[in-house]
Amino acid sequence: MKDYEIIEKIREFFEENYELMRLEGGHAITEDIKREALTQVLYYFTKLKDVATRVTDTEVKLTLPDQVTPKGRNFTIEGIVDIVRDDNETWMYDIKTHDLEYINSNKELYAKQLNVYAHIWQELRGQQLDKTAIISTAFPYSLKQAHLLNDQFRIQHELSRWSPLVDLEFNQQEVQSTIRDFAEVVDSIEDKKFQPAPVEVLNNTMEGTKALFATRVCRNCDARFSCSSYREYATHSGKGERGNFKKYFDDFGSDTDKEEWINANLGATRNGIFDGEE
Amino acid sequence: MAEFSIEHYWALKGFSPNPKQRDAILHHQGPLFLTAGPGSGKTRVILWRTVNLIVFHKVEPRKIFLATFTEKAAHQLKEGLRGLLGMITNETGQPYDISGMAIGTVHSICQDILLDRDRRFSEAGEKSRAPVLLDSLAQYFKIYRRGFWVELLKAGGYITNLENTDPEERYAQMEINRYLTGSDAKGSRHVAATQIINMFNRFSEENLDPDEVNCSDEVLSRILHMYAFYKASHRENKIHTVDFSLLQQRAYEKIKSHQGSQDAYEHIIVDEYQDTNSIQELIYFELSKKTKNICVVGDDDQALYRFRGATVENLVEFEERCQTYLGQRPKRIDLDTNYRSKRRIVEFYTQFIEQTNWAKPKGGFFRVADKNIRAFNREDFHAVVTTARIEKNSVFTQVAQFIFDLKATGKIKDYSQVAFLFPSLSYMGEKNGAVRDFEEALNEKGIQIFAPRAGRFLDVTEAKEIFGLIFHILGRPSHQGQASAGLQSFRDWQTGSMAIATRLMANDPNLKEYVTDRKNELDLIQSDFQALMKVVKRNRWKPNSRLKLDMVRDLAMASGLSPKSKSNLQKQAFLNVLKKKEQAGEPVSLSYVLNRVTSVDWSVLDLFYQLSGFKHFQEYFLLAENGIDEGPVCNLGLLTQYLARFMEEYTPIITASFLDENKFANTFVGSILYAIYRLGESEYEDADDPFPKGRVPFLTIHQSKGLEFPYVVLGNLMKRDREPDMKEIIVRDLMKKEGEPLERISHFDNMRMFYVALSRAKNLMILPQWKRQQQSPAFKEMFNANEFPIIPQINIEELPDSQLEVEDLGKSYSYTGDYLNYRQCPRKYMIFRKYGFIPSRSQTMFFGSLIHQTIEDLHHLLIANRRKEEASS
Repeated sequence: MKDYEIIEKIREFFEENYELMRLEGGHAITEDIKREALTQVLYYFTKLKDVATRVTDTEVKLTLPDQVTPKGRNFTIEGIVDIVRDDNETWMYDIKTHDLEYINSNKELYAKQLNVYAHIWQELRGQQLDKTAIISTAFPYSLKQAHLLNDQFRIQHELSRWSPLVDLEFNQQEVQSTIRDFAEVVDSIEDKKFQPAPVEVLNNTMEGTKALFATRVCRNCDARFSCSSYREYATHSGKGERGNFKKYFDDFGSDTDKEEWINANLGATRNGIFDGEE
Repeated sequence: MAEFSIEHYWALKGFSPNPKQRDAILHHQGPLFLTAGPGSGKTRVILWRTVNLIVFHKVEPRKIFLATFTEKAAHQLKEGLRGLLGMITNETGQPYDISGMAIGTVHSICQDILLDRDRRFSEAGEKSRAPVLLDSLAQYFKIYRRGFWVELLKAGGYITNLENTDPEERYAQMEINRYLTGSDAKGSRHVAATQIINMFNRFSEENLDPDEVNCSDEVLSRILHMYAFYKASHRENKIHTVDFSLLQQRAYEKIKSHQGSQDAYEHIIVDEYQDTNSIQELIYFELSKKTKNICVVGDDDQALYRFRGATVENLVEFEERCQTYLGQRPKRIDLDTNYRSKRRIVEFYTQFIEQTNWAKPKGGFFRVADKNIRAFNREDFHAVVTTARIEKNSVFTQVAQFIFDLKATGKIKDYSQVAFLFPSLSYMGEKNGAVRDFEEALNEKGIQIFAPRAGRFLDVTEAKEIFGLIFHILGRPSHQGQASAGLQSFRDWQTGSMAIATRLMANDPNLKEYVTDRKNELDLIQSDFQALMKVVKRNRWKPNSRLKLDMVRDLAMASGLSPKSKSNLQKQAFLNVLKKKEQAGEPVSLSYVLNRVTSVDWSVLDLFYQLSGFKHFQEYFLLAENGIDEGPVCNLGLLTQYLARFMEEYTPIITASFLDENKFANTFVGSILYAIYRLGESEYEDADDPFPKGRVPFLTIHQSKGLEFPYVVLGNLMKRDREPDMKEIIVRDLMKKEGEPLERISHFDNMRMFYVALSRAKNLMILPQWKRQQQSPAFKEMFNANEFPIIPQINIEELPDSQLEVEDLGKSYSYTGDYLNYRQCPRKYMIFRKYGFIPSRSQTMFFGSLIHQTIEDLHHLLIANRRKEEASS
């Protein structure tokens, strides 16, 4: 298959998946976001063709059974990865849509995850493993600019500068402590402890971003209106209860955001005979 | 390597199988027919048999297909298997990975086959196109929706006058209702749609091809044409859909059409085989055609699901069917020792089931008659008790007092160890008499009950509150004229909900202000819409016509238009978008612009999330966040699913044209909510969680399937036999099938249902009787032929103790989905992951899944390309 044929296929897969998810989810995503998603997949293929074409197993489900929590509950850990096997090398990678800056600043977090997966792969499946890595499909801002201008020369330049593959050393010593932490989370879930992240966390800048937790996480959470932490964050530096109350609820983004939202969803509206009761 | 024998592991688990269990576990080749009476250790046998295959016969887990009836049973099998294999790994160091095993309900496995992640049923490199599954509510909406319904009737030849379809629709509805139920139900579309759905599902489950069958009956051939149209309609869009019944048919087609299907699995194991239907039987035999390793497990006497198309004959005649399909008779093993119940209970139900004649007219039986179910327990203990036939209320009080005493004397540790079973709990959303009376009697003793799914979801407080507020904002249908009893009760529900909402607003001025603001916004877009429509009418423009840019200029000048809409229409950016679309060859219509200017920038689901930010609802969330009570939040989660359903079915966006002439209210309330109300959609139930402690469970006999309780009260001894079901008659006729005599089916089914109820009890089975109580003949016979102690004669001290069993099978947690999400924000995790709230705006999840799914498809394509290249070089 020629590259252009594969790219055609990607577009076809993408449109179909989009339709499917829109139908299942009941709402659309805006044109911009949709375009961005397609571009990420296309650049993944362009930039990492030699990785993508060597993938031997995709979406491999890994499980680590027979774990016990501090409170004595049994549980199993599950994860999904992609595997590349060469003549003499096996490596495992996880695809993330997070940007590079974020991944690099939170390497430890990602390393923990891959460590557990590597542990399952080696210990439980008894298979060889030489390398683990994260692939970031979120291409950098400079490439995005070049892409928007459709400047082929700059696109090539930015593509060559972009290194979406973040190698992570896997370290089996760390595994047990990650599993222990996982086990504690299982206990918390089973004990039904579901308090929101505290307001101090909301006010902090997230590692590797310029954004606050409240902006990056909470603004993307539809349940923020009923959240005590978010309410405290949103109404804290205000001018009094009433003014805040309205502002707090009117936060579906800028006028442009709202326009795009309407635009995306108008397209999804069906026409037809409307029903009344019998 | 396994260095130990299987006996070694049995000993480790303290399991000593009886000879028949042993034979069944060690059987590993060819077809196997396991009849498994109640409490005969069936699940254990299935688990150990699978372990034996994997560990001692080196069958790869992914080559095993293990289907059962409920999600809960599937979970038990999966975790039970993990546990046993984990134990063996600890002994031998040999790891086992069952994540690729096809283990689940038949529906979930069918979905997996259609999705085909590991490309076992597809040609290499093809994207697997799994259809979208419509659940039963979505299927109802698809068919009931007027637009589709008219098309459907047209396909049936009912509609000739397209100008005015009303009279012909009504005629068709009356005819369909009369044909399928015997009564025209005043031409109700709801009744007709429900009946048609049941009929269609049955056709699909029989794998009936509407073009192949011969039919001389006029009405039936109309219905068959409608079915053909319905089936085709699932394939007419780019994304195909299926309902639950067609799902199985599609999976069967996929299996049949793919060359390598018969190598996909080495072993097919099916639990609860008495409740399989025809299409499932076809799937199982097709998959085992080559290996002939099919093992079916079940008990014909516990068959419960004929109304879902199950045919118990699949089990009763399994030996002959095996011969026909696979050319080989199965080995039959009867698991006939009951380890669950006291001897007298087992004797009671084995005698009970024989209170009717199961003999076939030409020899043989309509059940597996030569089983010999025996109790392991040999005690001579009176495990079946009744009451004197005194006044009803005294009986209920007596029973309630008895249960109170059981707990007070420590014979039970918790009220959840006593179950009340009923043939049905409610009718059209209203609780049945005996259910209500037993509940009252227990409440009087301070005992609470738990009746999952007994009530109507729309009647829960949270639903009334939220919908009440939504009606205040978006309005409800203006009711005129006469209403049927059902419609009247629905109208009362609406006004009741609004009254509750009014009280909420009175207590929270902010809430009141919020509701008023939203309403004003809607009024504004509606008045703008009227202003714009005046311009449209004056110029005689057609709303569907292609937009010309000077139209926009005229619209902006409309008199009475709000400044906001006016400036929207004049915005350069907006005009540029229109120009661009035109240049791109995607010109927009006039109505697009009208909608664009006169819609609000929030959806019904946005409304929900904002409303839940007010104090009253916040408190519900706090209860769940702190682990105090999750009930209200569960219900709110379900509510978001219904709202999302509406957006899916109709529109995600609220436009003035949709609000115009009360269309929105008529659709949302009059159509969607009314359907949910009439179908009696019930409240949230967590399939994973066991029954809550401290409450006496009230269950339907169907819900009690597969469960056991130390003490069981059978709350109703009567279930009337019905006339033969028209659907059964039709299918028999069309498919030229034989089976149980039509006039006896309902009777047989009722006998089996009570058999299930009677075999749930471990220590004591209580059969209350009262004056003027209706009893099925089999119970009358049992009471005539036997003497049972009555409650006052029971010495509680002599009853056996019952320990509270804690079942910890363990659960699976995903690293990213569970662990990382919880770590980020436990509350967000709870809302979206645990209670399944449907997000309204969040684009992150959609975005991520879209990329991952497409990359996965790409990888499959690349893997297949490489294989092709390797093969050719």
